[in-house]
Amino acid sequence: MILCPTCFNEELEGALFCGSCGTQLTYQIKSPTETVVYTKRGLGKGDAAETQLIHGEPPAAARLAFKIITNGQIIALEGGEEFTIGRVSGTQPILPDIDLTPYQAYEGGVSRLHATLRITPETVTISDLGSANGTRVNGIKIPAHIPQPLINGDTITLGKFQVEVIIRD
Amino acid sequence: MPGTPDYYTILGLPRDATLEEVRRAYHQSAMRLHPDVNVEAGDTELFLDIQKAFDVLADPDLKAKYDSQLPPADIDKPLVEVNILYSRSALPILAESQLVYVLLDFSPPRLETASESAPINVCLVLDRSTSMKGERMDMVKTTAIEIIRQLRRQDVVSIVTFSDRAEVLIPASRRLERSAIETQIQMIQTSGATEIFRGLEAGYQEIRAGFNKRYVNHIVLLTDGRTYGDESHCKRIASQAAARGIGISCLGIGEEWNDNFLDSLASRTGGSCAYIAKSSDIRRILKEKFLSLSRIYAENVRFDFHTGKDVQLRYAFRIGPDNAPLETEPPINLGSIPVDGSLAVMFEFQLPPLPGDISHVALANGQIALDVPLLTSPSSVTRLRLNRPVKADPPPEPPPTRLLNALSKLTLYRIQDRANLAIATGDFDVATQHLNNLATHLFSQGENDLARLVLEESENVEQGQSLSEEGKKRIKYGTRSLLLPANAENFLSADGFGDGQR
Repeated sequence: MILCPTCFNEELEGALFCGSCGTQLTYQIKSPTETVVYTKRGLGKGDAAETQLIHGEPPAAARLAFKIITNGQIIALEGGEEFTIGRVSGTQPILPDIDLTPYQAYEGGVSRLHATLRITPETVTISDLGSANGTRVNGIKIPAHIPQPLINGDTITLGKFQVEVIIRD
Repeated sequence: MPGTPDYYTILGLPRDATLEEVRRAYHQSAMRLHPDVNVEAGDTELFLDIQKAFDVLADPDLKAKYDSQLPPADIDKPLVEVNILYSRSALPILAESQLVYVLLDFSPPRLETASESAPINVCLVLDRSTSMKGERMDMVKTTAIEIIRQLRRQDVVSIVTFSDRAEVLIPASRRLERSAIETQIQMIQTSGATEIFRGLEAGYQEIRAGFNKRYVNHIVLLTDGRTYGDESHCKRIASQAAARGIGISCLGIGEEWNDNFLDSLASRTGGSCAYIAKSSDIRRILKEKFLSLSRIYAENVRFDFHTGKDVQLRYAFRIGPDNAPLETEPPINLGSIPVDGSLAVMFEFQLPPLPGDISHVALANGQIALDVPLLTSPSSVTRLRLNRPVKADPPPEPPPTRLLNALSKLTLYRIQDRANLAIATGDFDVATQHLNNLATHLFSQGENDLARLVLEESENVEQGQSLSEEGKKRIKYGTRSLLLPANAENFLSADGFGDGQR
């Protein structure tokens, strides 16, 4: 049996969507050793990051990474100073660098442009972009548009979507 | 060997059919056409052919003799190309039930000269009950005249009108006096109630009068009303039509008509049902119907099969070129293949627990039979086996994108179905939940109008009311149409069809 993470409806093994609420169920079986790397190296300002799927640990060049708490998958960021997080839906003029759609972002209440990450040699900060459901760091809601410093091990919550911060010095 | 009937095609079997398959095919045809059950002239002749075919093919000696006279089959030239997508390339060994999805695409073989389509023999069965009065009937008349003007030279069109009785307005004929026909159409008067059986019966007679195996033979029923008490008669006609390869499609106008009944009528014959919300859509949708009928490569694509042990076909749906829920009991009439596209069907199989000592599991074994009107030997049969390897720990993999996309939209249609089921059993909380979930997904896909409608209806359901008839149909056919390619509307609204003689 598969338990739908959104409505707790039971579906048979092999089901791709929850028959009760329509949630996609396939990403539940993602291997925890996979890492998605987002690269902005060599791209102009305003270009969305390129993605690449690798097996194993994040590459050494990535100072900042996230671990998705529900399935253990890792998102690594490299080669850029600023990354926006959100989800892609239909026709929107500005696309986020990190598209969380595959991780049930819509059901989880992630906004199209939810938050921005800034990576400098000294600090890593997160700013909420005035999202509908807000951003929390370690459970505490942060005010919109004000950068908030992050340290290794922090938990970020976008709507209901949770990740653990991994910062390597 | 001209003159000798092809016993294999008569029974809808491939040349390498086993004795068991011959028996099965004969049994199924006999159930439909045996003189004890059939009522119609002509059925007995069909049955005698089937009997003859069975007598030969079931007797090993006669079969061997018959086979030796057969011209070699055109193995190099299959009449259909089948593309199969499975939700998983290998299935895991599992102590519990699991689901497998299969997306089948049937398309004309690439070598075949493209864009050649069969002429049509269509009967337009028009509801002229009182409720059609005014804008609806005016629209129907204008469109009917337009369609007749755009027919190709070989096409045959007849028109039947009905209320509580039926009249043949224009009999099936190829050479028509156009001005006389147009006057006839203009003179249609509205009155009386809707008795679909009357119209269907008369329409069926006209289609049979103009019947030609080289044509696409189809009844297009246009109604805005609910029929009472004659449903079983209608279904009988649909079954007879299906047995002869005649399709039935239904176009329902407004909110009164019985969508479940007409859906099942159309499904039996491989036809489809469309919902016309307002009179101004009549022209577009009726013309689309004629356009698609005039662009058919093969029709009556039938899948006859038996499932693997303890395997169950739980759900079947046609996702293109038009949408329709399909029956799950074999043989299934899957529909028609367009000349320039494919017939796409989604199957959901439920499997029993898979033990560790098997390497393969059979989902369904059977054959695809289809009629290609343009070809000299118009029926063809191809084997189709659906099966998957079974492995201890297959690596996780994303399902094919096309299958995933189609299924994500089909899921919305099925949530709609579930909501209706919950309402029918008085489970209003569950129904409200389903509708709210549906609205959420519709908003996320940018279908804001439909989403808002679902929310409005959901508020009524929350207070223990049923869906409004209009809302129910708009949601049902709205979610269904999400499966169609986004550009279908633009493509189809292009004026005219065929090579219209103006």
